[in-house]
Amino acid sequence: MIAASLLKISIQALWANKLRTGLTLLGVIIGVTSVMTIISALEGMMGAVESQLDRLGPSTFIATTIGGVATSEEQWHEMLKRKPIDIDYADDILEGCELCEKVCPRTFNSANIKYRGERLRDVFVMGSTYNLIDVVDFEVDQGHFHSREDDIYRREVVFIGETVREALFSGVDAIGKSIRLDGKKYTVVGVAKKMGSMFGQDRDKFVVIPLDVSIKQFGKPRRNSNFVIKARSVDDLDEAMDEARIVLRSLRHVPYDKPDDFILLTADAILDQLNSVTRIFRMGLVGISSISLVVGGIVVMNIMMVSVSERTREIGIRKSVGARQNHILLQFLFEALLTTLTGGLIGIVLGYIAAASLVQMIDMQISPSVFGMVAGLSISTGIGVIFGIYPAMKAARLDPIKALSYE
Amino acid sequence: MTLIETKNLWKTYTMGTEKVHALSGVTLQIQKGEYVAIMGPSGSGKSTLMNLIGCLDTPTQGDYILNGKAVNKMNDDELANIRNREIGFVFQTFNLLARATALHNVELPLIYNGSGSLDRVEKAELALKRVELTDRMLHKPSELSGGQRQRVAVARALVNDPSLILADEPTGNLDSKTSVEIMKLFDEIHRQGNTIIVVTHERDIANHAHRVISILDGKIATDEIVTEDQRRKAQ
Ligand SMILES: Nc1ncnc2c1ncn2[C@@H]1O[C@H](COP(=O)(O)OP(=O)(O)OP(=O)(O)O)[C@@H](O)[C@H]1O
Ligand SMILES: [Mg+2]
Repeated sequence: MIAASLLKISIQALWANKLRTGLTLLGVIIGVTSVMTIISALEGMMGAVESQLDRLGPSTFIATTIGGVATSEEQWHEMLKRKPIDIDYADDILEGCELCEKVCPRTFNSANIKYRGERLRDVFVMGSTYNLIDVVDFEVDQGHFHSREDDIYRREVVFIGETVREALFSGVDAIGKSIRLDGKKYTVVGVAKKMGSMFGQDRDKFVVIPLDVSIKQFGKPRRNSNFVIKARSVDDLDEAMDEARIVLRSLRHVPYDKPDDFILLTADAILDQLNSVTRIFRMGLVGISSISLVVGGIVVMNIMMVSVSERTREIGIRKSVGARQNHILLQFLFEALLTTLTGGLIGIVLGYIAAASLVQMIDMQISPSVFGMVAGLSISTGIGVIFGIYPAMKAARLDPIKALSYE
Repeated sequence: MTLIETKNLWKTYTMGTEKVHALSGVTLQIQKGEYVAIMGPSGSGKSTLMNLIGCLDTPTQGDYILNGKAVNKMNDDELANIRNREIGFVFQTFNLLARATALHNVELPLIYNGSGSLDRVEKAELALKRVELTDRMLHKPSELSGGQRQRVAVARALVNDPSLILADEPTGNLDSKTSVEIMKLFDEIHRQGNTIIVVTHERDIANHAHRVISILDGKIATDEIVTEDQRRKAQ
């Protein structure tokens, strides 16, 4: 009951002092906005990477020679010197790894594509087997992915990304049309669903052709290849990776006392690595932006100190009619909390808007995060309490007589 | 029934190395329902005594028993409670909240004892009626005359139905005509059964009371009854 009345008194005091309240709000808003911008943007980016990696599926891993995150220059050089992954190993892996359900070799090249008068340069060309679609989840928009027969008979068929379709076939049905990849003729059998861009990279500017057709046109791959392997189930993933490791070590003649000269990557592992590499960077950013929070807090404290000394008489009057220390403390703490919470809410919204526009520059989207909101509200409440408690205590402890005779 | 009993009250201020005795051993008793005036020259310790009696301050030494309770042994919050429930203070400088309406100023003591807002408004309106300010309830202090402000302060002192009304030079900032009005108000409040202590410089004001205590250098110099005759003259 008393608390409710005190809250009302605080609101009225804030309302009566619009300029001061506005300035305090501004201090809080600047602080919270900058922290929230950084947190939301970072969280959004990590979320986007995560959702991208999700395409790999939880029971899938990649076998490659170069990949993951190199933690030193030597490691990077060592990776570059490795023998490439031989795509002919697909059958050996499938045979030697009981728990591996599908093994898809992939090659990566680039080509210029032409259809009638239209052309598109530097398109990413993936060569793979028909079952890639079961392992990596491209979603099919029109037509279908190439078939087992297409692989066996080495048919010149192509599955195209949305950017390719748009560039060559705007307003025309693409299925069944002939396009040229570096001059060679292919028939379009399917179109993938749009994936959008990320980090400024267009993820729809690609085509997929049968593996052997790609080897015929581009030659046997050197470093530009890897395997996508799907375990029988998520639970089997770890064991499947162990089995695949043993097969690959023996195929690549790795001595028993030497480390692997290849990497098996899961989505989780990539994410973990990314997280650990970017952690310090992220903490640094949050740390730097926190400085503005401290500044905001000091603004709150300063203005409250002025407010307390300006209202010394009021405090004296309240005490003379029976306000206890806690009543005065609460009244001033409420004022601090109301301003910082309001500022915090505004800061969260502004921070989100700022983060969204920042992240849009690298072709990503973020959604409002619960973590961000909770963090923003706790941060602003924290400022309110931490920087509000001292002035409020000072007010609460004033001697009634001195306060009443204060000029 | 004894409402106030002080035994050898001292209040000493230390200014650097020097000690100032604002009160040097005040012993007095005031009964419930009395109307007492305290007089004395400037600096004699009247306000200091009032602040001690009003529980706004604590003595350096000595006992103070209010309504059977030993006040000098109380902590800050207990004193706040006493101020809230037992005492209504009227100051020379009114001490009203400048931004609040008369009504809100009067309900202030009720906020701190947890009364509900309906109850508060009802009691505050009643108190304002007693001081005849029903038509100025929503005015702020700056929109009221000095006499009206002091009447708001009196209403605030009355609102919680305290055992004791203290007024430290309540007419000090008012012209003589308004002073008479305010003193009539105190007379009326006293007739209704309240205990009142008024500090004043002026004999005419003091003679409204039934007993006048004069203070000199922090000690009680005289303590005398006001005759019926003197009182009639003052009114
Ligand atoms: N906070 C204080 N610090 C030091 N000395 C004080 C303090 N308050 C009062 N005094 C001293 O105590 C003495 C009594 O002061 P008090 O205010 O009680 O006088 P008073 O009788 O009310 O005078 P007046 O008629 O002018 O109001 C004075 O000498 C004054 O200087
Ligand atoms: Mg005085």
